[in-house]
Amino acid sequence: MGYPAQVEALLQKGWVWQGQNAPLNKAENQFISTGWHDLDQRLGGGWLQGSVNELQVQQPFIGELAVLLPLLAQPETTALWVNPPAQPYAPGLHYQQVILNQQVIVNESNNKLALWAAEQALQSRSISVVLIWSNTLSAIQVRRLQQVAEAERKLAFVITPQQREEEARAYVTRLQLQRTDNLYISVLKRRFGWPLPAFPCAVDKHLPRRRRAL
Amino acid sequence: MNAWLYLHFPHLLLDYQLALQPPEAAVKPHALVHTVAARRTLVQANQAALQQGVEVGMADVLASTLVPELSLNEHDRLRESAMLTQLAQVLYQDIAHIVLHPPQGMLCEIRSLLRLHQGFHGVLARIQARLEQWPLRYCISSGYSPLAAKLLAQSQYALLTSEVGVAKAAVAQLPIEQSGLPGQQIARLRDVGLLTLGSVMQRPRAELGVRFGRAITLYLAELAGELAPPQDFYHPPARFDERVELAAEVATWPQLLFPLKRLLQQVESFLQSHQWSTRALLIRAHHRHGPPTQVAIQFAHAVWQQADLLSLSQLHLERQQLHAPVLELSVRVQRPESRQAKRSQMFAEVNEHADSLNELVSRLQARLGESKVQSTQLQDDWRPERHGAIQAWQQTEVANANAVQRPCWLLPQVEPIHRHQWQLQWGPERIVSGWWDAAPIQRDYYVALDAQQRQGWIYHSDKGWFLHGWFS
Repeated sequence: MGYPAQVEALLQKGWVWQGQNAPLNKAENQFISTGWHDLDQRLGGGWLQGSVNELQVQQPFIGELAVLLPLLAQPETTALWVNPPAQPYAPGLHYQQVILNQQVIVNESNNKLALWAAEQALQSRSISVVLIWSNTLSAIQVRRLQQVAEAERKLAFVITPQQREEEARAYVTRLQLQRTDNLYISVLKRRFGWPLPAFPCAVDKHLPRRRRAL
Repeated sequence: MNAWLYLHFPHLLLDYQLALQPPEAAVKPHALVHTVAARRTLVQANQAALQQGVEVGMADVLASTLVPELSLNEHDRLRESAMLTQLAQVLYQDIAHIVLHPPQGMLCEIRSLLRLHQGFHGVLARIQARLEQWPLRYCISSGYSPLAAKLLAQSQYALLTSEVGVAKAAVAQLPIEQSGLPGQQIARLRDVGLLTLGSVMQRPRAELGVRFGRAITLYLAELAGELAPPQDFYHPPARFDERVELAAEVATWPQLLFPLKRLLQQVESFLQSHQWSTRALLIRAHHRHGPPTQVAIQFAHAVWQQADLLSLSQLHLERQQLHAPVLELSVRVQRPESRQAKRSQMFAEVNEHADSLNELVSRLQARLGESKVQSTQLQDDWRPERHGAIQAWQQTEVANANAVQRPCWLLPQVEPIHRHQWQLQWGPERIVSGWWDAAPIQRDYYVALDAQQRQGWIYHSDKGWFLHGWFS
């Protein structure tokens, strides 16, 4: 592709961001597979290491945990769950091959303290993933989490209700989850490309098989 | 070879009390008075007071006229002895044989340590380094016998040598008043012109015995080291429960931080001397009236170092409120355990990982409270609400597998539902259990979809239909 010489020079310096091209610094080992082929493709390879990702859910329990289960079921994953919407149930998690004694659950109604706990976990070398359920994260709080996650190369997920207004946040990835017959994920924001429309994600294969009513 | 060291702390109680306070407190003049038959005389004074002209032995009226801002407190001999014991605990980390000479001195036997610390000066450097952590004024002196070392130290003669001849000469120089003999004896010796210890030692001992009684011959034998009275060596206590008195009332936790630091330093030396670590501390703040404020601190991992103890305790205390000013602070070590590593796994790396997870949990629990940091575990009970119990966090072994699919979420409270809003997908699975205790259940569980196509775990019992969990 030919550009004028001035633009070429800028490209050489890496000052121009090109939406349609794969990024220059994209490396395989920067990504951790989400476990879902379609999602991996759209996110450039998986969850970016050292990132805070947002999952906007239409309603709780539509399948957001199923999206994260492949990651949580990795034997080396140690996760902190901050303010989960219900009690994480040991038999169900065990069935999904999540290692129970590597899950730490924090229930703290004070938002500030909950975020403090998340930050401590991101800074601890023993925790690799932090899950945060919150409705009220401010732009500053997200940026702070993102800074810590990036510095420590950890993964954090914020599960939140659908956000109406498109206010900018420092999330690396923003996904919107919707359910009709299947779970549909739309990418609202991603690191290396434009937003993408909704696509079906086969998360139901981890869940009890669906069939017609008895 | 001078095998004995004697440490004399002439201002022990005052120095110790000031050590528990922030350094700026020590800049102000402080002194302790001792009352004998309505006569109050100064017995201890800090550096600031001494510089302004206050002297030990002065009447309190004179001293406070000289330095109006001088703060005077009563000297308490018992308390001073207790502090000496606490100090012995600190020194016990370096010296095995300590004899307490309350209220202000301690004797150390160092012959057994010479090889460990490469000679006399090695031992000395070790002790001095340890005492440097405490802003205490002391005089340390060596001697060929316990009594010789004690007399030299008490007369502020800091003789640090391993040569017996030098020590003997120094002892001989001591005036008879500092011999430690009863006052009557001293008077009688002085009356016959024996003004120094040296002049007494030169006399034939048998003749001295005839003239001044047998006590003096025993004294001289002890001084020369020929007679070694049995020493009652210090043993560290099996429990740690120390309290310190604050110089002034304190109303907030941050102000208690300084005394707490010192106490935790003692906790560390206590744990170190036993090779223990601890999982629980009880910190109590004592008030003028009413019961003390208690703060129980649990650690998810065993700790023993002061820095760890302090940072975790600090997080705990930030959550606490003091309802009244504090006069005294105490710390008790609970559940000490021996420090050897409990390795159940073969690979050290796995354990190290678990340890640092425990560290994180300790930190979170310290700030948020124990009950807010939880884990979920499989239990041997088939009732769904007990099968995957949630509990305060603890590291446990993984239970064996279970091949039945269960939801990943369980509602803390079951929700009544309308059956017609749910589409049954799979079931029923009948769970009947708990007939042996007060909470028996008989339920038919189904996997069902709600109007939004979410997969729920619902059941039917004689009370109706309920939602119990979600699958994702």
